[in-house]
Amino acid sequence: MTEPDDATLVRSCLEGDQSAFAQLVVRYQRPVYNAALRVLHEPADAMDIAQSTFLKAYEHLATYDPSFKFYSWIYRIAINESLDTLNSRKSLSEIDHERADEAPGPDRQVEGQQARRALEDALMRLTPELRTVIVLRHFMHLSYEDMGDILLLPVKTVKSRLYSARQVLRDRLAACGAV
Amino acid sequence: MTDTEHLALIHAEIDGELDARQRGELARRLLADPDARSMRDQLQRLCALLDATEEVEPPSQLRSRILDALPPAPRVLRRTRWSASRWQYAALAAGVLVAAVVGYETFNAPGPASTELVGTIGATRGRTTLDTVRLPSGPVAGRVSLYRDAAGHGLRFELAASAPVEVLVASDGHTLRAEALGSGAAPGAASTSIALPGFGGSRTVDLTFLMSGRAVGRATLTVPDRH
Repeated sequence: MTEPDDATLVRSCLEGDQSAFAQLVVRYQRPVYNAALRVLHEPADAMDIAQSTFLKAYEHLATYDPSFKFYSWIYRIAINESLDTLNSRKSLSEIDHERADEAPGPDRQVEGQQARRALEDALMRLTPELRTVIVLRHFMHLSYEDMGDILLLPVKTVKSRLYSARQVLRDRLAACGAV
Repeated sequence: MTDTEHLALIHAEIDGELDARQRGELARRLLADPDARSMRDQLQRLCALLDATEEVEPPSQLRSRILDALPPAPRVLRRTRWSASRWQYAALAAGVLVAAVVGYETFNAPGPASTELVGTIGATRGRTTLDTVRLPSGPVAGRVSLYRDAAGHGLRFELAASAPVEVLVASDGHTLRAEALGSGAAPGAASTSIALPGFGGSRTVDLTFLMSGRAVGRATLTVPDRH
């Protein structure tokens, strides 16, 4: 039996069927949680963001425009919630300072797990805007168009931001021999 | 072509977005420029590393935590956004400003005029308290009372919290929301009362306390049998 599509589930939910929303939760809890986790790098925060994302989606479901993809809409909520949480944390400069101390030195051989650790460190040292495009493109495997819908940016800007983010990551990982 | 344009071609190649002419252009550049080849190889390895990152399984309790936090009546979401009143007053002890916005809606009848939703701050004469629930120390502390007076039923909030608190009030098909409650003052330092228009058919009032959209507590108030 074919599962109902997102638009059908949204419609059912708006007609009073809460189990329809439960199906949307099952369908999207994993990517929403992972998006928040990659942006915030903190499982407890990612759990909170996933919860608040779905709660907001539920509360504002009547404002959802079905001509857009539901996942773009809910990912946008998740990304905005994650960025709000990041903004409420300590300043980026403090994070940069701490992470810089933790980063592997240039003379260190980085392979396997170390390469992944170096990547995660480099990701967390990106600005939230650059980290977000990496998350959407490489972890959520979204198209430029979907990324533009989520970030409310033109595709040209999305590409430019993505290229910049990769360049910064390459520079940092090349400096410690991870790529 | 400039270095910037060639760099854009490398990124576009990684994303599989080059046409035949662009592929030829990039190939010529890579043949002639070892630095460009090194850059391309490093970016490819970087992207392979990123793409190979495995998804993490969310905690098993996430689904139930989300569903448990949902307001009880999804159909109210279809209604036009409720009308609202705004109250502001100075807290007695701490001088803290508390603003409350109250909305109300029901899915069986049109929403009441905003004048019906007026809070009854400080108007306690002839008021009978039907039930009180105390909130232990936590994100939200204080107490909430269900009362009845000449104007009808209402809730009195005496809350303290580190951030503004929203409260979803659900009873007998009605959903009401009080926003920007709690002030950081000690419990009881400031209070806000809200009317419950249409209340009466149910014996219980369910409260969900939210901070930044996240449920941080629940409580239920019950009307005693003699009422």
